[in-house]
Amino acid sequence: MYKTIINIALKNAYLRKSRAILLILMISLSMGVMLSIEGLYDGLAANMIDKSKRSDSGEISIYAKEYRENKDMKFNIKNTQDIITELKSIDGVSSVVSRFSIQGLSQSATKSYPSSLVGVDFEDEEVFGKFSEFVEVGDLNLGKRGCAIGKELAKNLKLHLGSKVIFTARDAHGDIQSIMFRIKAIINSTNITIDNQTIFTNKSRVLSYAGVAQNTSTQIAIRTASNSCITIIKDKFQNYDAKDFKELNPMLKQMQDMMKIFNKVTFFIVMFVVFIGILGVMYVSILDRVREFGIMLALGYKYTYIRTQVIFEALFLGLGGFVFGSILGFILLYILKHHGLDLSKFADGMASFGMANILYANIKLIYFTSSFFAIIFASILSVFLPLKKIKNLNPTEVIKADS
Amino acid sequence: MNGSHNSMLKNSLEVYTGAMAIYQKDYRDEGGYDYLIYDNAKIFTILEKENGVKEFTSRVETYGIASTDDESSAMMLTGIDFKKESKISKLKTALKSGIYDSSGACLYMGESLAKKLSLKLQDEVSFVGTAIDYSFVADIFKLCGTFKTGMYEFDSSSAFLNRAYFDELFYAQNTSSYIAVSVNELKQSDLIAKNISKKLPQDTKVYTWQELMKAMVELMKVDSIFGYISMGLFFLVIFFVIMIYGFINVSSRIKEFGTLKSIGISDRDIDTLLFYEIIILTLSAVIIAMPSSAYLAYYFELHPFVIEGISEIYKDYGIISDEIPTSFDLFTIAWNTLVIVVLNILSIIYPIYYVRRFTPIEAMRHV
Repeated sequence: MYKTIINIALKNAYLRKSRAILLILMISLSMGVMLSIEGLYDGLAANMIDKSKRSDSGEISIYAKEYRENKDMKFNIKNTQDIITELKSIDGVSSVVSRFSIQGLSQSATKSYPSSLVGVDFEDEEVFGKFSEFVEVGDLNLGKRGCAIGKELAKNLKLHLGSKVIFTARDAHGDIQSIMFRIKAIINSTNITIDNQTIFTNKSRVLSYAGVAQNTSTQIAIRTASNSCITIIKDKFQNYDAKDFKELNPMLKQMQDMMKIFNKVTFFIVMFVVFIGILGVMYVSILDRVREFGIMLALGYKYTYIRTQVIFEALFLGLGGFVFGSILGFILLYILKHHGLDLSKFADGMASFGMANILYANIKLIYFTSSFFAIIFASILSVFLPLKKIKNLNPTEVIKADS
Repeated sequence: MNGSHNSMLKNSLEVYTGAMAIYQKDYRDEGGYDYLIYDNAKIFTILEKENGVKEFTSRVETYGIASTDDESSAMMLTGIDFKKESKISKLKTALKSGIYDSSGACLYMGESLAKKLSLKLQDEVSFVGTAIDYSFVADIFKLCGTFKTGMYEFDSSSAFLNRAYFDELFYAQNTSSYIAVSVNELKQSDLIAKNISKKLPQDTKVYTWQELMKAMVELMKVDSIFGYISMGLFFLVIFFVIMIYGFINVSSRIKEFGTLKSIGISDRDIDTLLFYEIIILTLSAVIIAMPSSAYLAYYFELHPFVIEGISEIYKDYGIISDEIPTSFDLFTIAWNTLVIVVLNILSIIYPIYYVRRFTPIEAMRHV
């Protein structure tokens, strides 16, 4: 019986071809564009978070107490190597790096700018976050006096590859010291703190310049895929300031949350309008066939069969839109994932907010499954009102009235 | 979208930047003391005569290291005319402690920078930098006032010194890194800049706020692009819904059109009839929607959305207010209304085409 009902429903759904095509076109176009926007926003947020983790905080970072508030190197971690060894022994920790940072003034021949000198081990940084991928020009073979400089800082100081830059700051003994570097690499990490004000060089050189012991650091950053690992580290290093990514980057977390909210609002609005569209088509479709339903009821056809048939009709229309919408959405997302949306024309603006010039979309199964369930829901909901009309039908009156 | 953009821009311009700035041509590209304006008086005379210019003031910026007994920090020291500055920027209203308009070796410093240097009012701070003639400069200043504009980077790296003392110390008499200008009407800034440019010495250049705030203006354009894509999506679904309902309306009246055609009404007249119908429906919707949406825009312009703490979270990006206002802009309301009207009119094209396909007999037999 149900096979027959489904067959009738399928035929009825596409009986009025123009209406059906319009509805499918509406669902598929709106779904396609909606999925693209969703994927693009997700991709944008994910990219910013990924680069921020790789270039700076990892999933969790450990600082000496008070360092983050004051950014003063006197609040440092003294037994760095012991802590690193301990961290590496924790299950789930994939890599650990230590850095030493000093705030000071960078100067070129004509310009000066407040900045940070960060000492790192580039081999460790490569394992930690593929640091070499951030190099826009030059390479990380810095030699004795080389440095890598943030792209925006280089731009502000009018420096390029091979230029000299002088960094001046107060050392651990309270003396103002200057150090000269030759630029070997320009870094574009899309992390604004790094791109706008950071000079990287070998950690041992920075430690000597600052006049502190070699086993000292201002930050130890950890990569891990495990949330429990973050909790363990926080518990274990309570004497230090251990903060996870979300705590260190509330702005990025909030941006991601806001994008999620925006995507949900868009999703809701689009699905509501899709619901209105299906409702209109189904309502008229049923009104057109009131006499037909009257005859069916008069012949002893149960109301539940009619209800099932009408629900399936709406589902077939909705699913038709979903199938084409998914195909269109996937094609758009695929293009945006592999070719991206090129916004190089607005490079300065994008860089000022830590965004890459080319935005790449994410493709997640959840985009399609959530659309699927929403369309199914909208389709089923859209037939309630028309079904109420049928339920109240008096078969004899309907047949008489229309004859 | 427009409201929050305008608000961000207005905050940034009013706090310090100003509507436009006059630089020596290569200063922004090359920088340094070799590219300063060395004749302020000449430019002041031109600006005084220019209609539309509200206020102007000269600023000289230099960088150096500021140190206390225990702390040091890079600092941008700017020589300003405190009286003129109060008319062009919000430095005076940003006062947090001490005094704004000081004289002698007195600094007006960003609150975050003072905190970084562990400075209290009347404490001393040394500064080491370079004078305009590239000679070495070192002096000890007293902290006389602190300010907080909300622009994090600015507040944590800037200090201001009165021009008389600055000029003497840095040999900066009649000199500017740039001259900041405010105008009566921001919308007129391009025109005013063009007029001023014609009269200025050839080695100077006027930068309008769009150029001075290039990154922010670009970012707003990107934000607008995304906003328009989202609006486009909404318009798309709305268009289809209108078209579907229009089509349903027409398809259920095929018999009626058949009758009209059979009594001699032409296709063109039926088109006109449908066109009038959609215009009546559209105007009815616009009459309800336009005043209500305009009221909402106006209301939220006066009573902006407030997201507590947003300025703190986004402080690195120049966001200095928790308020997100809307913009009551008649032009925006008009073009949005126009788009809806156009979409409504477009939505009737397919139903018209559909009706035209039927001959009178086919239409009258249509079920």
